[in-house]
Amino acid sequence: MKRIFPFLTPYRIAITIALALMLMELAVELVQPLLIAKIIDDGILQQDLSVVMLWGGVLIGCSFVAFFAGVTNSFYSSHVSQSFGFDIRKSLYDKVQAFSFTNFTKFPTSSLITRLTNDVTMLQNTVFMSLRIMMRAPLLVIGSVILAFIVHPGLALVLVISVPVLLFFLIFIMSKAGNLFKQVQERVDHVNNVMQENLVGIRLIKAFLRARHEMNRFKKSSEVLMDKTVKALRLIEVTMPIILLLMNASILVILWMGSVEVAANQASVGDVVAIVNYATRMTGALSIVTMIIMVFSRAKASGSRISDVLETDIDLVDREASENFMINHGAISFDNVSFRYPGTNTNVLRNLSFSIKAGERVSILGATGSGKSTLFQLIPRLYDVDEGEIRIDHQDISSFKLEHLRQQIGFVPQEAMLFTGSVRENIAWGDLNASFEEIKAAAERAQIHDTIMKLPKKYDTLLGQKGVNLSGGQKQRLSIARALVRKPAILLMDDSTSALDMKTEAKLLEALNDLSCTTVMITQKISTTMASDHILLLDEGELLAQGSHQELLKTSPLYLKIVESQIGKEALTLVQRGN
Amino acid sequence: MFKEVIKPFQYKRRSLEEIEQSNTGKHDKKKAQDPVGTLKKIWFYLAMNKVKLSLVILMVLISSAMALLGPFLVGMGIDDFIVTQDTDGLIQLLWILGIIYIIHSLSSWFQAVWMIRIAQNTVFTMRTRLFNHLQKLPIPFFDKRQHGELMSRVTNDMENVSSTLNSSVIQIVSSLLTLIGTASVMLYLSPLLTLIAMLVIPAMYFGLKWITKRTGRLFKEQQRNLGEINGYIQETLSGQRIIKTFSQEKKVIGQFEERNNRLRLAGFWAQTFSGFIPKLMNFLNNLSFAVIALVGAVLVLNGSETVTIGVIVIFVEYSRQFTRPLNDLANQFNTLLSAIAGAERVFDIMQEEEEEIDEAEAVEVEDLDGEVEFSRVSFAYEKDEETITDVSFTVLPGHTAAFVGPTGAGKTTMINLLSRFYDVTDGVIRMDGRDIQTIKRSSLRSHMAFVLQDSFLFEGTVRENIRYGSLTATDEEVEKAAELANAASFIRKMPDQFDTVLQADGQGISQGQRQLLSIARAILADPKILVLDEATSSIDTITEIKIQEALQRLMEGRTSFVIAHRLNTIQNADQIFVLNNGQLIESGNHEALIKQKGFYADLHNSQLREKLVL
Repeated sequence: MKRIFPFLTPYRIAITIALALMLMELAVELVQPLLIAKIIDDGILQQDLSVVMLWGGVLIGCSFVAFFAGVTNSFYSSHVSQSFGFDIRKSLYDKVQAFSFTNFTKFPTSSLITRLTNDVTMLQNTVFMSLRIMMRAPLLVIGSVILAFIVHPGLALVLVISVPVLLFFLIFIMSKAGNLFKQVQERVDHVNNVMQENLVGIRLIKAFLRARHEMNRFKKSSEVLMDKTVKALRLIEVTMPIILLLMNASILVILWMGSVEVAANQASVGDVVAIVNYATRMTGALSIVTMIIMVFSRAKASGSRISDVLETDIDLVDREASENFMINHGAISFDNVSFRYPGTNTNVLRNLSFSIKAGERVSILGATGSGKSTLFQLIPRLYDVDEGEIRIDHQDISSFKLEHLRQQIGFVPQEAMLFTGSVRENIAWGDLNASFEEIKAAAERAQIHDTIMKLPKKYDTLLGQKGVNLSGGQKQRLSIARALVRKPAILLMDDSTSALDMKTEAKLLEALNDLSCTTVMITQKISTTMASDHILLLDEGELLAQGSHQELLKTSPLYLKIVESQIGKEALTLVQRGN
Repeated sequence: MFKEVIKPFQYKRRSLEEIEQSNTGKHDKKKAQDPVGTLKKIWFYLAMNKVKLSLVILMVLISSAMALLGPFLVGMGIDDFIVTQDTDGLIQLLWILGIIYIIHSLSSWFQAVWMIRIAQNTVFTMRTRLFNHLQKLPIPFFDKRQHGELMSRVTNDMENVSSTLNSSVIQIVSSLLTLIGTASVMLYLSPLLTLIAMLVIPAMYFGLKWITKRTGRLFKEQQRNLGEINGYIQETLSGQRIIKTFSQEKKVIGQFEERNNRLRLAGFWAQTFSGFIPKLMNFLNNLSFAVIALVGAVLVLNGSETVTIGVIVIFVEYSRQFTRPLNDLANQFNTLLSAIAGAERVFDIMQEEEEEIDEAEAVEVEDLDGEVEFSRVSFAYEKDEETITDVSFTVLPGHTAAFVGPTGAGKTTMINLLSRFYDVTDGVIRMDGRDIQTIKRSSLRSHMAFVLQDSFLFEGTVRENIRYGSLTATDEEVEKAAELANAASFIRKMPDQFDTVLQADGQGISQGQRQLLSIARAILADPKILVLDEATSSIDTITEIKIQEALQRLMEGRTSFVIAHRLNTIQNADQIFVLNNGQLIESGNHEALIKQKGFYADLHNSQLREKLVL
């Protein structure tokens, strides 16, 4: 909660105005009975029509004042709560964008989404309500106690005792409910998660006819959500009957004590009536408190979930001494690098050392799960190494500013993830300032230009969330274009040509030839390794062999086996004899 | 400081027509706003709990009666016992009062407890129905929607319904009761003044109409914007790897801010306008208060027989009591509107047509030989833009057919059509001579197993993920399938082996390993027709050779469809179909196609050439 309140400070002025307006409304309400009394006492009883008209007019005028105050309050309250919500969402989103992948393991996507929308909405509504009605109830309670005290301190003592008891009880409920609502929100996360999985995996679900299975899974998940919600709400709803009971009991005591005091001539009947009256009003005001308690408990739960995100330490940041190095040549070297994913205890990469010369084209080859993609993720520092050092142009990459480092790397991921938007926008992702000419040039290089020109709106064709109306190979080439448009010093391609046919791939590789960047490609295809200057062969996270195609043919049995697996034994012997 | 003072009045306002237009987005069917219809639908769900609902109403009746009886008896006690010093009478009365108070507390507790259950049940039913309906929607629906936006309907929109139902029903019933009660007392006291007090009702009606005409749309706009922002967050979180490697955090933060701002704007106006309602009610309330006092006073001064000072005093009190429930009702109306806005978005989805809806006469197919025939099939994802043009071929039962062609030739689309993820725009696909559109989708797919291009894993254990192929499979069967798919060796190296929990984002498991798991899944499914769409594209070739044997064995006796780029993996196919630009340009087996010296031969030769360049 400590993290949440500061979000309100920029709006102190608007908050003050909103509260002032609310008090104004309240004042009018309180003045009304006085004015009515004036009309009766000075007007009707004195048979003076002009006085009736005067106070009647004032009464009507007051209504207008209250209306004006109320409507204006609406503007201020909305402004404060919406801007408050806006600011929190913004801070959350900024924070999440700064998250490292290790941070992300702590918060699943579905949970972050709930926190950014649902939880913020809870807080926002709380602020809105606070500025409009919440003060009323406490003020009414306090006012009533004070007035009762003035009327007859002895009898009012009952109220003075019961109110703190109630308050204590309410605070107790609130803290308990806060935890329960936190569980509710966690279940919302879960429902959200099942939903998300179903949306992403819908093809698989349909293909395997698992709709019923998924329906059951969702049903279970939302059943738990329902039960948790019921539990939390029921706790809250206990407050109302208990408030009623306690306040009514106080009335009984007041009546009894009242009769004793009246008998002893210590109090008048009027005093008793007045105090009972105040007690009744307090009951009314306190019933609103139930709602307030609920809203605040939910806000407390949501607030702490939001704080959790905001307070997360980002474990992958620029070093203090980091500098704006430029990657001039693009030489990459790994020096005894070991790495394991956070939260696991097996090394995915082990003592990896190699170097890639500037401008070289290097292929990384290895069995499924040998650590190729992991190795790639270390270069733009998506993760930090556990041991050893990675250097670019002889500088430890952790001495680069993260943004600078990544800006100069073109990354083509294995799964071609595209964003909602046009083709042009998707390519321009690589370089926001790219001119259309540059975008086109990148598309041509990536062998996707012709395909784009056949789309209904060419470069302005909109792509669905995952670019569904494109084939796998087309998506891959678009994401290659996206990497090329930034004219990277280092180009990393993670098996990005797997869905391309040989012809297209060959053309693509040729088009990459005249780029001056260092290119590292993860591949399964010998055709690709053959077109590289240098090949790294990985096995179980270790570097098994390296060298050119010809060298590896001679030195590495595994490489030979891979080649054999692709071109067949005969062709291989033919080739070997040829050499 | 001045800026902060005028800020609330500087929010841009959009016209209602504009809002209406953007609310009926490109996906939603065009239809007029229908709050009453939506309310009826919500009521339909609520009414599923008839027994409990009537119990709740009974409890509201009891607690309202107790709430009235209490003060009445207190007044009596003061008048009759305290003033007269009748202690015995007072004690008796206090006992009665105590009982009444207990009943009051109990009944209000029960009404709340039951109502919470009813409300949450309703929300639960709506939520699961929405989800179940989603499961029945066709693939094109999902391809066109943002995931996060749909997720928002299940959470944020349902939340609106939930929070309203919890309180509204009780409030509305008890408000109506109080309203009727006070109105009759007032009528009894003075019909004329009652009439004046009632004057607020038409004013209220028009005022509310004016406001709700706006808030209804504004709330929907707010929810829509919330959905949009949800969609954006979901998309940018799943694309986090790209954002990071391209260091485009600033860009997405900027784009997020735009959406965030839109949400603020929509939220501001929705909240401001809905905030008017209680203020308006208060105002009318105060006004009638003043008018009653004025008119009453004038009547008294003019010597009216029925209206006395006492009547005015009581009347003013009652008119207050009269407007309070009206006030509450108006407030409930407000939250109701926001619930309606949420519910409407939920029902919008429920109105989407189900996959199977148009084929009532479709049948189940028990046994399939697995003969597949495409007859003059054409297909377009978007109008006027054919992805498949006039393709015809037949695959005999047990045969393996391969699709070959450049990317974008329509290979995956063929699979989409075969599985009826999409339906043909022209022509017929037959299975065992029967138009597949006359076969129930569920029945059709039950004979097929797929290894799709994007291998998707659920959050759960490795075992659960493989078992997805056949939910009834034993542990041994699961492990055997993994063995066959060559996945067992890496699974055994995982910390908890088959019980290792896979993360939703698939951290720690490579793309190739995912494909191996998908293959294991398909092996377990043991289908009549097997579909492999680039099933081994991310798997290294040595492993591929190993599983190729397993796949060959798997394909025996089954009709199989294979898409692969590496031609050597499909050379054994009985039939190879070469696609280009959505047209079938060549077909035959490997030898025949080579002899034909066409596109396939070219493709093959270019691959061969590369081998020989070595």
